[in-house]
Amino acid sequence: MTTEQTPQELRAAIARQFGRSLHIRTLDTGSCAVCEQEIRLLAAPHYDLHRLGFFFTPAPRHADLLLVTGPMIRAFEVAARKTYDAMPGPKVVVAVGACALGGVYPADPFTHGTVDAVLPVDVWIPGCPPSPLALLHGLGVAVGRLAEKVRDLTFTADDGPERERAIP
Amino acid sequence: MTPLDCYYIAAGAWAVAVFIGLLTGQGGRAWQGRAGLRACCALSALGGAAAAAGGGWSLLYGDTPVVSLGAATVTGGPVQLQATSLAGVFAALLGVVAVAIACYAPRYHKPSRGTGLYLGAYHVALLGCLAVLAAGGMVTFLVAWETMSLACYLLILRHPRDRAVASGAFWFLALSEAGFLLVVAAFVILSAKTGFTTLSGIAAHAAAVPGGWRAAAFLLALVGFGFKAGLVPLHAWLPEAHPVAPADGSAFLSGVVVKLGVYGIALFAFRLAPPLGAWPGLLVMGGGAVTAAIGILYAMAERDIKRFLAYSTIENAGIIVTALGAAMIFRASGQQALYALLLIAGIYHVANHGCYKTLLFLEAGVTEHATGTRDMDRLGGLVRRLPRSAVIAFAGTLGIAALPPLNGFVSEWLIFQGLFQGFRTGSHLTGILIVLAAGTLGLTGGLAVYAFVRGFGIPYLGMPRTRQAAEASEGGQPVLGPALLAVVCVALSVGAPVVLFALSRMARTVTGVTLGPLLLPGNLTVIPAHTDFAAFSPTYLSVFLVCALAVPLLIYLAGRPRAGSARVPVWDGGIVSFKPRMQYSAMTFSAPTRVTFDALYRPSVSVSRPADDDPAGRSGPVHYAAPVTPAFQRYLYRPLVRALEWLADLVRPVQSGDVNLYLLYVFVVILLAYLLGAV
Amino acid sequence: MTLWFIRGLRRGVVTTRYPARPDASARFLPAPPAFRPRALTAATADLLAATCPSGALRREERTLLFDVGRCTACGRCAAAAPDAVTSSGAFELAATSRSVLIKEIPLRGEAP
Repeated sequence: MTTEQTPQELRAAIARQFGRSLHIRTLDTGSCAVCEQEIRLLAAPHYDLHRLGFFFTPAPRHADLLLVTGPMIRAFEVAARKTYDAMPGPKVVVAVGACALGGVYPADPFTHGTVDAVLPVDVWIPGCPPSPLALLHGLGVAVGRLAEKVRDLTFTADDGPERERAIP
Repeated sequence: MTPLDCYYIAAGAWAVAVFIGLLTGQGGRAWQGRAGLRACCALSALGGAAAAAGGGWSLLYGDTPVVSLGAATVTGGPVQLQATSLAGVFAALLGVVAVAIACYAPRYHKPSRGTGLYLGAYHVALLGCLAVLAAGGMVTFLVAWETMSLACYLLILRHPRDRAVASGAFWFLALSEAGFLLVVAAFVILSAKTGFTTLSGIAAHAAAVPGGWRAAAFLLALVGFGFKAGLVPLHAWLPEAHPVAPADGSAFLSGVVVKLGVYGIALFAFRLAPPLGAWPGLLVMGGGAVTAAIGILYAMAERDIKRFLAYSTIENAGIIVTALGAAMIFRASGQQALYALLLIAGIYHVANHGCYKTLLFLEAGVTEHATGTRDMDRLGGLVRRLPRSAVIAFAGTLGIAALPPLNGFVSEWLIFQGLFQGFRTGSHLTGILIVLAAGTLGLTGGLAVYAFVRGFGIPYLGMPRTRQAAEASEGGQPVLGPALLAVVCVALSVGAPVVLFALSRMARTVTGVTLGPLLLPGNLTVIPAHTDFAAFSPTYLSVFLVCALAVPLLIYLAGRPRAGSARVPVWDGGIVSFKPRMQYSAMTFSAPTRVTFDALYRPSVSVSRPADDDPAGRSGPVHYAAPVTPAFQRYLYRPLVRALEWLADLVRPVQSGDVNLYLLYVFVVILLAYLLGAV
Repeated sequence: MTLWFIRGLRRGVVTTRYPARPDASARFLPAPPAFRPRALTAATADLLAATCPSGALRREERTLLFDVGRCTACGRCAAAAPDAVTSSGAFELAATSRSVLIKEIPLRGEAP
């Protein structure tokens, strides 16, 4: 996305362009494919991203949003750049999963370790893998329909009744 | 002046060419070789033109009277010649092929030691073919047939030191001779029963021969000529002999010699042995349909371009024979119009297939000389390196895949329309069998398109798979010969009404049925012998297709200046760089067919890895081979040969080498002769 | 065919209403940890930083830096120091800038 606009203008522009219909192109830059499975579940009846106006497309020329997973292995760099360049503007890049955000794999001769090293990322979705609900929230943030919540989270807990801990 | 005079001119030109050919290469200088080759080819072209003119003329002229030359000559009787209209198309094809090869040969052959013999043998073969077609008598026919076979054997044996060449040529010779024996038997039966040796005499008195003898003669002729025509299971020599012969030799074999086998079958079916019942026609049609299907199926498994084309020849011979068989069935059930139609369609397909198969073989020769290999999987991208050859080969491919608007489509359409009217025969069983044959031909047609997409796409399109393909050059390659054949193909399709008019005259001479308006109702349209069935116009179809292709071109040209968009690289899936190994190979492209028809191919799969002990599973290149089982050679010919060898072993003690035993034989025979003489 | 149709009708709509309405299954999802500053001694913080296989925890002078983006919700930190770590239960973690995902958790006010 163009960097001359302020974030607010950016949000407004995105909401205007993509508010009702967004075409998503997924890109796997070397992940373990579990993020892909969660992404694929989005199209299943339980989560059904079509009701929100989101669609998957295989052709980057038809895509508005690039959904990137994986730690951007170096062998994939050229293909990732080609995919990004083939998308017509305006376009949004969303990095999905701990690998894409820099965790799990450090930068070494085989990977960049983070998607940000090659593509300009607009929205980051943590998780390993992020559940389809988290992905829906992230896509909503990317088009400006939902509010970003993690800014206000502190990840601290006061003394109090033990919260039910989910099984990791 | 009759068509026979044109044949005389052709024969004279080719006879002189034989001598010049034999002298080529005998002189020590290179220029003598080249000059001799060119002179030979000029005479060959002259003879070809004369033969083509004579053949075309005899379609309209009808049968000339029988001419006897010489009396009690060395051939055991006078040479009897007659230019028949049934043979007209075959002679015209012979002429056109001769002209095309004459334009092709000077650039293809490098005059060397064997060239003289090759050229001499080739022209003797041309003479033999012409004599077969112009033969008016049984002896002339048989002598000419055998001359042609032996000359073709020498033709294939251009490089006799090579094992594969010798083996292929031997296959041809062995099966030719086997066929010849049966043909002699067939002719002898008919000649003895009718008391005539001229073909027209036999034809006039054929009805007097008892039905059983006639059928037996026809069966013998079917099998005997079937060896030459390439009917399954008599086809085994085609894929062996074609790859090893020089390209113009292979072109001549496929284009003309195989058609002479078809001519022999047609001769017996429509002139010498009628009237026959329905079952010979069913046999011929069924055999043709099976041949077509098996031919194209085996073609799908071939990587060698010439073997592939040889199997495709088998397929087309099957199609032609199916049409002739259906014609016989319709004649037997009284449908005269359909009988004439299918005869016309079959003969039309002879002409078409002769043209485009010769073209394809000549182009295969160009490819082989330009790249050094016949293996499709070592080629690729030749459309950029050999542009003219690629365009010409594409015209031939369109023809043989029977795609509109070219000539293959017209003749196959006629054959299909004739077969679809099988319901007009009275018998339900016959109708069902005709429909089955039509279905088999439909399968064949679909597989033929698939096979020739592979046959043109893998060598010519895509990226070059080896350095030889990437460095192929068109300089010095023959273009005129194949180009001439491409023009003839287009003419045969666009000018289909003219061709069909001439063929309907031929049908009138052979069958006595006048199709006229039932085939060509005017307006350049063609209908299959009945006005209420189907119709199409090849000429208008060609024009329409050209115009339809022009529309997107016009849109592009009109819209071009106004486009003001950015130019960006094409989205190619993000591939970093394209490699030739990413393409289809010839065998992977045909893999679906090979898997479906696995029961026919029965490949013997072998996989080998150099090293098996690497813990990570790396082993180096894996070699996978799945050669097709040569079913007919293994299960039909080898047991026959073994049986013959066993018989020979049984008889061997007679030739013991002992002089005393031989003297005993002489004594016994003389005794027997005396006794028989006294009795 | 009719069997599944009837079954589907009986079961009703199973599509989640998220984001219009909260989803009931969200509380069972694996979530990044939440830390109790009262139990976070410097030693505990060092232990947690060493335990995390993803490098999401790093101890600075007085804070534990927690990179939410790097967390895989594996649970090793909770297993190593159960009274200092609990689940945050948060799943709506999308951020428009990377720095927003790096949280500072104050340690217990105690001299090292």
